[in-house]
Amino acid sequence: MSVGAILCSLVVVSARNPVVSVLSLLGSFVCLAVIYLLAGFQFMAAAQLLVYAGAIMVLFLFVIMLLNLGTSEEQNGPIDRTLLRARRIPIVFAIGAAVFLLTLFGIETQQTIMEVDPELAERGVSSMSGLAELMFSTYLLPFEAASVLLLSATIAVIVLAKRGRTELATDASAEVTQ
Amino acid sequence: MTVPNEHILFLAAILFSIGVCGFFIRRNTIMVLLSVELMLNAANLTFIAGSRMHSTAAQAELSGPIFAIFVILVAAVEAGVGLALVIALFRRKQTVSLDQLNELGD
Repeated sequence: MSVGAILCSLVVVSARNPVVSVLSLLGSFVCLAVIYLLAGFQFMAAAQLLVYAGAIMVLFLFVIMLLNLGTSEEQNGPIDRTLLRARRIPIVFAIGAAVFLLTLFGIETQQTIMEVDPELAERGVSSMSGLAELMFSTYLLPFEAASVLLLSATIAVIVLAKRGRTELATDASAEVTQ
Repeated sequence: MTVPNEHILFLAAILFSIGVCGFFIRRNTIMVLLSVELMLNAANLTFIAGSRMHSTAAQAELSGPIFAIFVILVAAVEAGVGLALVIALFRRKQTVSLDQLNELGD
């Protein structure tokens, strides 16, 4: 899982196409969620999958598709690009096969590492109530501050979106008057 | 025995370094935001490892996961506001390349 997370993160940084890097970041997040699960924090794994892999990645993908950034970074000629792609495909397949074999090898040889400690798992289930209790007693003030932060972020995003639209509208009306 | 805590910390360090590299190397604003997300994830992993390190068999230390949840919340807010800024920039300039957004320095 760690190998998978590291490989995915490397692809995130090195990929030319933003869509590819967003999808590999998704893979990295899933690997991290499995690590949380193995460490005995079930709620963290669920939150990671729901918030990161579900919400944030969809937001990123949506913006990339909206702005049509998929090809904007590649400024090579068409021949170069096809050559690059043809060269890249076997590399990608080789990396995938290597990851698969590594995970198989890890499962074969070190079965105990992939096993969840039963004690930890039980504590994780019982830790849900402890988590909630701590969050609403000791960490009540940060919790409320987080709600204020979310509200202000919502307002900020709405203001940004509306201001852009009104500026565009004024630009368009100025062009019309000219 | 499960995964030792040192390995988790090493993984977090490696992920954070990759994020820092991406943050400085890439010229696309969205890629920079993605690198920031990667770094926040590494921080989360560190919180989890610390919580595991300090919890005993009888009592689980739960401050780490709570801070990690707050970090996830902040990451969500950051992604929302950052992407709104990117869209506003793209509307004005028709580009998201950081090399072409340097008017403040001139």
